[in-house]
Amino acid sequence: MKRDQSRLRKSLALLVMSSVLLLSACSGGNGNTEGSKESAPPQSAQPSDSGQTPEEEPYKISIMMQSFDTNLPGADSPVIKQLEEYTNTDLDIQFVPNSSYPDKVNITLASGQLPTIMVVDKSPSFISAARAGAFWEVGPYLKDYPNLSMANDIVLNNSSIDGKNYGVYRGRVLGRMGLTLNQVWMDNLGLQPPKTIDEFYNILKAFKEKDPDQDGKDDTYGIVVTKYAGPWDIMQVWFGAPNGWGDDGSGNLVPTHMTPEYREALKFFRKLYEEGLVNEDFAVMDSAVWNDPFVNGEAGAFVDVADNARRLNASMQEKEPRDESYTSVYQAPVGPKGHRDMPTTGYAGMLAISKSAVKTEEELKKVLAFIDKLGDVEMQLLLGYGVEGTHYDMVDGYIVPKENLEPAVLQQYNGLNQMLPFIGPVAPTLEQTPINNMIAEVQAANEKIVVANPAQPLVSEVYAQKGQQLDNIIADARIQYIVGQIDDAGLDAAIKLWRETGGDDYIEEINKLYKESQQ
Amino acid sequence: MNSKHDSIGEKIFDGFNYLFLGLLALVTVLPFIYIIAGSFATEVELIEREFFIFPRDPSIAAYQYIFSTDTVSRSIVNSVIITIAGTLVNLAFTFTMAYSLSRKDLMGRNIMMNLVIFSMLFSGGMIPGYLVVKELGLLDTYAAVILPGAISAFNMIIIKNFFQELPPGLEESARIDGCTDLGVLWRIVLPLSKPILATFGLFYAVGHWNNFFSSLLFLNDHEKWPLQVILREIVMLSQMAAGDMSNLDPNFVEPPDQSVKMAVIVVGTLPILLVYPFLQKHFAKGVLLGSIKG
Amino acid sequence: MNTALRSESDASIRKAIPRRRRWLSKLKKDKWLYILLMPGLLYFLVFKYLPMWGVLIAFQNYQPFLGFWNSEWVGFEHFQNFFANPDFFRLLRNTLILAVYDLVFFFPAPIILALLLNEVRLAFFKRVVQTMVYVPHFVSMVIVASMTYVFLTTSGGVIHELVSAITGKSINFLADTSWFRPLIILQMMWKDSGWGTIIFLAALASVDMEQYEAAVVDGANRFQRLIYITIPAISSTIIILLILRLGSFLDNGFEQIFLMTNSLNRSVADVFDTYVYFVGITQGAFSYSTAIGLFKSVVGILLIYGSNRLAKRFGREGIF
Repeated sequence: MKRDQSRLRKSLALLVMSSVLLLSACSGGNGNTEGSKESAPPQSAQPSDSGQTPEEEPYKISIMMQSFDTNLPGADSPVIKQLEEYTNTDLDIQFVPNSSYPDKVNITLASGQLPTIMVVDKSPSFISAARAGAFWEVGPYLKDYPNLSMANDIVLNNSSIDGKNYGVYRGRVLGRMGLTLNQVWMDNLGLQPPKTIDEFYNILKAFKEKDPDQDGKDDTYGIVVTKYAGPWDIMQVWFGAPNGWGDDGSGNLVPTHMTPEYREALKFFRKLYEEGLVNEDFAVMDSAVWNDPFVNGEAGAFVDVADNARRLNASMQEKEPRDESYTSVYQAPVGPKGHRDMPTTGYAGMLAISKSAVKTEEELKKVLAFIDKLGDVEMQLLLGYGVEGTHYDMVDGYIVPKENLEPAVLQQYNGLNQMLPFIGPVAPTLEQTPINNMIAEVQAANEKIVVANPAQPLVSEVYAQKGQQLDNIIADARIQYIVGQIDDAGLDAAIKLWRETGGDDYIEEINKLYKESQQ
Repeated sequence: MNSKHDSIGEKIFDGFNYLFLGLLALVTVLPFIYIIAGSFATEVELIEREFFIFPRDPSIAAYQYIFSTDTVSRSIVNSVIITIAGTLVNLAFTFTMAYSLSRKDLMGRNIMMNLVIFSMLFSGGMIPGYLVVKELGLLDTYAAVILPGAISAFNMIIIKNFFQELPPGLEESARIDGCTDLGVLWRIVLPLSKPILATFGLFYAVGHWNNFFSSLLFLNDHEKWPLQVILREIVMLSQMAAGDMSNLDPNFVEPPDQSVKMAVIVVGTLPILLVYPFLQKHFAKGVLLGSIKG
Repeated sequence: MNTALRSESDASIRKAIPRRRRWLSKLKKDKWLYILLMPGLLYFLVFKYLPMWGVLIAFQNYQPFLGFWNSEWVGFEHFQNFFANPDFFRLLRNTLILAVYDLVFFFPAPIILALLLNEVRLAFFKRVVQTMVYVPHFVSMVIVASMTYVFLTTSGGVIHELVSAITGKSINFLADTSWFRPLIILQMMWKDSGWGTIIFLAALASVDMEQYEAAVVDGANRFQRLIYITIPAISSTIIILLILRLGSFLDNGFEQIFLMTNSLNRSVADVFDTYVYFVGITQGAFSYSTAIGLFKSVVGILLIYGSNRLAKRFGREGIF
């Protein structure tokens, strides 16, 4: 079989070559054979015989990860050189543009030639590959490493598959959400930060009706929302609706849209829409321009990641510089069921180690040692901010990026932060401006009020098949309810449709998996 | 085509026709003009004003920014290489096959036509296609971007039909003069097919220029990426809602400026836009058949 | 029995000799044609037919890492799920209506535009207009969707304001289900009508000028010349494009529809292509989406062969 394949391969290559030759004979040669003449470069770093290799020899590691930038460091980047020196490795970094990353993961899995480390999500094809033994189960090893042993249990649980960890998660702030308000408007109207949902409502109402920008015109409203439904998801948790799934009191999980708290939240949203406290066109609004109404002084509230307060402030400062911050950011207001907010999953993908590139446990330990070292403060700084003195300076223990750096210099470390697991000691941060401090406070305080999704680690077959379809039914009904196209009966009908389309099977499966995982 | 013969009705038609086409041209080109204007505008202006033709205080900062590293200029070179080499391969493969299949007496022609049409509708999909390219050892070469699309069945069929409509007498006479089929294609058919060559050369070239997906699949080395990969990424990133950014590390990633996005669109579109006017002279009326027949 | 077989085969061999000779002589006569055919044929075999096994994953639960040989076979399960899906008829209906709109309104647009351009005698004006209408083809769909929002939004979109000033009512173009399909077709027209004219202009370029001159001498007016010379000259191109278009009849252009869909118009916006995205790509169900693709392809191939036969019955060329 194998031999047949390689013979086939050879003859195919011959055929293609000959057709190219034939073609050039016919048309007088148009000289495009450059591509086929080049020999294929090595696909992935095959670790050299580790048994004989002396300790000092740099260990070869290939990494595949997303890029969120187009100016990427070349192999000659001094930052990569420093990284290689520090970790005693020989790195081959493959950047893949974020928008096509899932495709690239799938074809890489299909090709069977995986890089040493691959950043992956818990996608069905990764889950299936992990179950089939394509990746090392790293969970049991983590305790042996100084940084990796500090991994957060909640996040480890969230990122697990069938209770096992097939990768080192890339940590993110768990309690990242926040309520951003226009501080100028707050001051103009003499308002205090909202403690409860009623106060939150009153602020939105005042933003709409009390002329917060003091221009004498009725041209403002409360909160801006777009086609992207994130803000609704966040705010319904404030009202006590579970995050995704919740315990119904008898130990069974129910989806959030089947709880009374969900309905309460929707009634509130509907009131916001009826009274014009949210933008009229939110259901169709292009999320690329989400920030614009806030920056232009049309809307005064923004519910999303807390750190967006910095972005909004920066845009407004660019318009008209002001000594103080234009924005302020607060924790979620307290709702009828107490102080609650939506968390993130606490991680963004995992660094999975493939068995096709890493054959032995001994090698696995080398790779884990590399990932462990990425948690060191030195590496967090190097990959996140570049080289001290070149890209940033340390002032009073804070990082101050050099101003007006040439993009070509910035390029030396661009995108490398994508390999950081952020498991380890806390590294120095950017210089603390008032708004940055506020964001940090909110996110730290959020840790205590975030509501975990108990179904997060569960892998549902039904959801893999019909998940998006099911989600759409509920998401659409929610929007239609808010804008008043359907009433409570319509919402009930949508939930019934959801259950019939596969929702009931989904509930049953989740509960079964949940009970199994509890044991 | 003598205007002296025009009736009043025809003159009215002409008037409306010019007016309609003029307006249409304006409507189609306005958004692009906005993109050009936006590429010279400041961020503040882009957030404040929804649509404008003249930026308030024009600046070339966005262009300075995108050309300050070699990423964009290198990718333009890559795009040009892929486009030129790819188009030549396309034309050679497509025209030879179309010419052979345009001969109705060719044995096996029907089987091959069925083969071609079937492949238009049924395809193995992304993964099997990738595996073939990989097995051929073409990964990370431009051949991987060019060869898998060497013939568009769609274009081939249309070209074949153009060939079928050429007057048969021409080929006959050439063959009597002792030309082989190859000679007929080279000396008679191709010179007659300049508008077709120009048209499909343009189609293929535009296809290569706009293609980002095969480059993403087959080129691992980011220094080999063509411009469209860069352009697409910038457009997608700036489209990413703040909410979708909860996956990103808050300290590092900022979406690119709107003006930079627009400048990249301009840089990515203008070169291929300029190809068309140059090809247009080949679409001039009746350049070929009349002259040869006469 | 053996002998009988042998004598029979002898006879067929004897008969086959002249046939094979004919075959060989034909091959020899057209040897250059076959040589010219080789690169193309090889291309199709290597890059189109070698990966064709991918079609079979419609009958599996394909997982990339397991590969073709190790993935589980499930027979027609995905097809059953697809046809039994409660949404199937809504998807079919939306897909078909949009496909018919496309064929009736969008398909003729480039033809009409090409004919209008053909009537323009100011060469400079013609060239400028041609170049300008061709520009939108290069504007990516993401940008087109963003601009559509900017122009049509009920909070201050220019076109929305204009329409409500004229008609006196506020039309929510982006959310209203009755506006979804016209909007999609208008976007397509804006984006690709100009691009589509190129092929017809090329066809018009091969019209013999002498025919027009003769017609003018015969006293034909412009409308008559259009009907009797220009349109027949491009009719075979129109027919071929139509037949080929029918092959992808059920393709609605995923990206555009995906971008224009929202919670308020989804009931009319959901089509096979977006459904495939939701169940297939985002959930990694390769096999399911391949099965749906296969269904669309079978419909396409029936339409292609059917319409090709129809064209031939009417004495036209068809595609082959």
